[in-house]
Amino acid sequence: MSHRLASGGRIDRAKRLQFQFDGRSFTGHAGDTLASALIANGVRLVGRSFKYHRPRGILTAGAEEPNALVGLRDGARREANMPMPAIELFDGLTAQSQNRWPSLDFDVLSINAKLARFMPAGFYYKTFMWPASFWEKFYEPMIRRAAGLGEASRDPDPDHYDAVHAHCDVLVVGSGAAGLSAARAAGEAGARVILCEQDFELGGGLLLDPRHEAWRADMIAALGAMPEVTIMPRSTVFGYYDHNVLGVIERVADHLPTPPQHVARQRYWTIRAREVVLATGAYERLIAFPENDTPGVMLAGAALSYVRRFAAAPGRRAVLFTNNDEAYDTAFAFLESGIDVAAIVDVRPVSARAETARLRGLNVLSGSVVAGVSGGKSVERVSVTKRNGSAPDIFSVDLLCMSGGHNPAIHLASQSQAKMEWSDAIASFVPGASKQRENSAGAARGSFGIPIAAREGAATGAAAATAAGFGAAVGFTLPDAETSPRTPIEAFWEVKAEGKSFIDFQNDVTGDDIRLAHREGYSHIEHAKRYTTHTMATDQGKSGGLVGAALLAEARGETIPAVGVPTYRPFVTPITYGAIVGHAVGADFNPIRRTALHDWHLRNGATMMEAGLWMRPAFYAQAHEKGDIWAPILREAKAVRQAVGICDVSTLGKIDVQGRDAAMFLDRLYTNTFSTLAVGKARYGLMLREDGIVFDDGTTSRIADDRFFMTTTTGNAARVLEHMEFYAQTIWPELDVQFCTISDQWAGMSIAGPQSRKTIEKIVQGLDLGNEAVPFMGVADATVANCPVRVFRISFSGELAYEIATPAGYAEPVWEAVLAAGKEFGITPYGLEALGLLRIEKGHVAGPELGGHTTARDLGLERMIKKRGDYIGRVLAERPGLADPDRPRLVGLRPVDSSKPARAGGHLIETPGSSQSLGWVTSSNQSVELGGWIALAMLSRAEHWMGKRLYAAFPLRKEMVEVEVTHPHHVDHENVRVRT
Amino acid sequence: MSVSVPEPNSSLRQVAKPGRFGATSATPLVIMERMLSLVQVQTRKGRDSDVQAAILAGFNLELPAAQRAATSATMTAIWIQPGMWMLSAAGHAEGAMARAIKDATGDAASIVDQTHGKTVLTLSGAKARDVMARGCRLDLHPRAFMPGHSAVTQVAHIGCMLRQFDEIPSYEMLVPSSFAETFFGWLTHSAAEFGYEIKPRA
Repeated sequence: MSHRLASGGRIDRAKRLQFQFDGRSFTGHAGDTLASALIANGVRLVGRSFKYHRPRGILTAGAEEPNALVGLRDGARREANMPMPAIELFDGLTAQSQNRWPSLDFDVLSINAKLARFMPAGFYYKTFMWPASFWEKFYEPMIRRAAGLGEASRDPDPDHYDAVHAHCDVLVVGSGAAGLSAARAAGEAGARVILCEQDFELGGGLLLDPRHEAWRADMIAALGAMPEVTIMPRSTVFGYYDHNVLGVIERVADHLPTPPQHVARQRYWTIRAREVVLATGAYERLIAFPENDTPGVMLAGAALSYVRRFAAAPGRRAVLFTNNDEAYDTAFAFLESGIDVAAIVDVRPVSARAETARLRGLNVLSGSVVAGVSGGKSVERVSVTKRNGSAPDIFSVDLLCMSGGHNPAIHLASQSQAKMEWSDAIASFVPGASKQRENSAGAARGSFGIPIAAREGAATGAAAATAAGFGAAVGFTLPDAETSPRTPIEAFWEVKAEGKSFIDFQNDVTGDDIRLAHREGYSHIEHAKRYTTHTMATDQGKSGGLVGAALLAEARGETIPAVGVPTYRPFVTPITYGAIVGHAVGADFNPIRRTALHDWHLRNGATMMEAGLWMRPAFYAQAHEKGDIWAPILREAKAVRQAVGICDVSTLGKIDVQGRDAAMFLDRLYTNTFSTLAVGKARYGLMLREDGIVFDDGTTSRIADDRFFMTTTTGNAARVLEHMEFYAQTIWPELDVQFCTISDQWAGMSIAGPQSRKTIEKIVQGLDLGNEAVPFMGVADATVANCPVRVFRISFSGELAYEIATPAGYAEPVWEAVLAAGKEFGITPYGLEALGLLRIEKGHVAGPELGGHTTARDLGLERMIKKRGDYIGRVLAERPGLADPDRPRLVGLRPVDSSKPARAGGHLIETPGSSQSLGWVTSSNQSVELGGWIALAMLSRAEHWMGKRLYAAFPLRKEMVEVEVTHPHHVDHENVRVRT
Repeated sequence: MSVSVPEPNSSLRQVAKPGRFGATSATPLVIMERMLSLVQVQTRKGRDSDVQAAILAGFNLELPAAQRAATSATMTAIWIQPGMWMLSAAGHAEGAMARAIKDATGDAASIVDQTHGKTVLTLSGAKARDVMARGCRLDLHPRAFMPGHSAVTQVAHIGCMLRQFDEIPSYEMLVPSSFAETFFGWLTHSAAEFGYEIKPRA
């Protein structure tokens, strides 16, 4: 039987939409929400509650819905806990109820409701404490299985999301009478305005009152004609942050079966606004009475919305339970729509609206309350008594509408740090003085009714425009002021009667739970919240939060403002994770840096690995090496030791240092001296942090008297430049020195191995590469394949080696020329793994040794410390702890059984089973020179242990390897090869 | 015999293929990589006016004030920080522009060739502002940012020198060439909704 009203509403009756709920097919119309369409189809039971699995129906008509939460869509697009009243209906929509098994109608865990008396607040804390060992293995998994609403898809999200930045003079949140007026007033003043509305239709409360439709349409048309006004429907402002930054989710395509091609599903807007007008309206409050969560109990304003906006009858015959005048509109709308009103139960003894209702023939029971509801899965009977107690009147109805008053939606104002102030006039909190540049208008500051909201909105919008520097005057008509008399609300929270009276539907919290929390000492509002879980659900207690505070105040014998409500936090309304992440998923998680040779590496079988943001070749496996990860690494390293290899070292940080005082600056930056370096020479440099710990190293070359080509490690490139800028700008501003990063300008390649000179001699033009002309640490410019290059004779591997730098656009032709020249010697491209192997063999320090805990002496680099002159880190490096001769120092390790690795991270101990660590393994690798495994380590009293044996223990893997302590230079200790 | 330097490879050669992409549109956005010589000029201590005068005399270009760009018949300058500008121009041989500027400024400035260090992209079209808003935090509304304005900022989490050069609007973006492919991925992804055309590098 259809509950669709014959006429009225804003739905498009010509446009029918098919949808499914729990596998059943239904029909709705364009303009429906999932909630309104189900109501129009007579569906009552839509979910099971969180803790007790009680049957639940639709309570609200907005995103604050605590009951009607569903799993929306199927497969990878399935989302859990979507509030039905906020789901715009589309053709083909599918939704499933949650928290029930095997079915919504018959749910096994609803036994919890029978056990409810044994499951009060704090039940889990009290019950599952002993024995402690049961917690991890038994209690927690059990509770986790029972807890949680809905189930998210485990598939990757097929949609994409955009992050967008916007700026405006005035941001208006909410498009009811106040919001439309504010936006128009600010827009007419010439301000750049953004108007956000979470609904798919603009108008807020205007959508429920056909008398104002013409005005609404006129306002929207006027706003649409203003080029500097941006209207954003389906856009939820979820957070208010410092400096008037607000976060907004725009649901671009959620009302469609799938997003159109090239269009984001949602956009995450970061809006920076000079001024903000909060016209967010108000949320209706529930009233606590026994069985107030029975399907068919609905907030009065929601029922009004379903009737007026969606032409859907939430019942045939209704009781209205209220403490305020506003709720009478629902009864009058029922009258117009042919829904029986059995009774209006008003807690107040007299009210102006009660008289109006009686004149229209309605049965108003003043000074009365609803004492209980029966029916279980659907309201059947409502019992009403006088407030001072009387024999109950029983009404057979299928709908009970309740209204405990309205709470201004102060969440955003509260997040902006405005304090809340209590208003007796509306028995609720209103926003207090602004802390940021924001003001509330209309129902959001407790001014109920369309005419007054429109006036406040216009004034607030005009004031915001003025504050943003625009001259403002309101030049449009506003709805006529209301003249009918109103009787004030009477604060009323709970009907004192036996039974379960819910104050938080989403987390199944009752009034008794609040009193229990108070008795057990959790009397602070924030403690009571956590003890009972009241307002901790995703709706943050929008319908019942204040009711709980009122009951706690009553229990404490204090006023509600003295008790307060818990802090409101983002997100005002839950939002999708995907939208927060935006574009930064998968390969786009971080920006990727590619060298100029990236494509060559990919074309030539490189396995790439991340090095910070960089992608670097790890190794180049050949077809026959598949499955043996060591084969290419050892082959590449061997080629360097025995013939020649080539490696892309473009990722090294490179900084152009110029200026009259460039050399002096470097003298202070490095522990060693650069002012004595001749033009055309490179020098290895070591720099410390201020605290005396080694910061970075690299070779720096003198290109001219006043110009150096500096290199840093790959990982520290940006940090070193910042460090230099800091000193140049703040500590030594008198020095004439300029820096410029040239890491991307220059590609670099290392050509290493005994045949490296013979290789590049064939192609380097305009430069004699003889040992005398370009000795070790020599630097000169030349050309290769007609491309300009800079040749450095430096070595990381310990072999005769050159680095050729070339402007990045020429990297490939130069690289190819070297490969062609080295072909006869068997030139082999090598990756980061072989590079690491070679430097460990040679005993050169890198990241694992330069980890921010080692001094120059620790690393055996004391020869790099100049005797005279100051440099960064000198003073603190002399602290006794850092100068202690027993500090761990760099050593080499050779496992006695060289087939067994001494794993990096392992501890060095004297005897098996010892718990005294003498040091640790920093880097471990196979050696192509010696065969088998070698390692570098930091070892206390290194000289004492030199040549002796220790054990490298790695207890996590139950490994124990006997090792001999050696010099760190496993290869060419005398450093002859690089000079040959 | 002098042999000419080969044309440098683009950091976008794998991804920037000319053609029409994204949504169908009568007025697609236009994305283009520019082949420009780039030279960073930094004044040495106390030599600001010498550098300004040398650039004006040598290239008829008045170096712009903070957050502005300036253009002469052949050269553009973007302000980077006090005493620092990025100069760009088309049609120079490898290294020639840096040498010319060094010759003009002598020991008054530190000159660094950045031709290969930055990738230059232009984005042009009525929807260019909407695309930029997806990665750039700055207010590019015509009341706040207009032709001749420039900024050094982050776009799509990548350091970017940005200038607007006409009212269409059109933007020029200089990004580190190692990040260019990532940046281009963001740019085309963000432009797809409006439709875009990639023009050949020029």
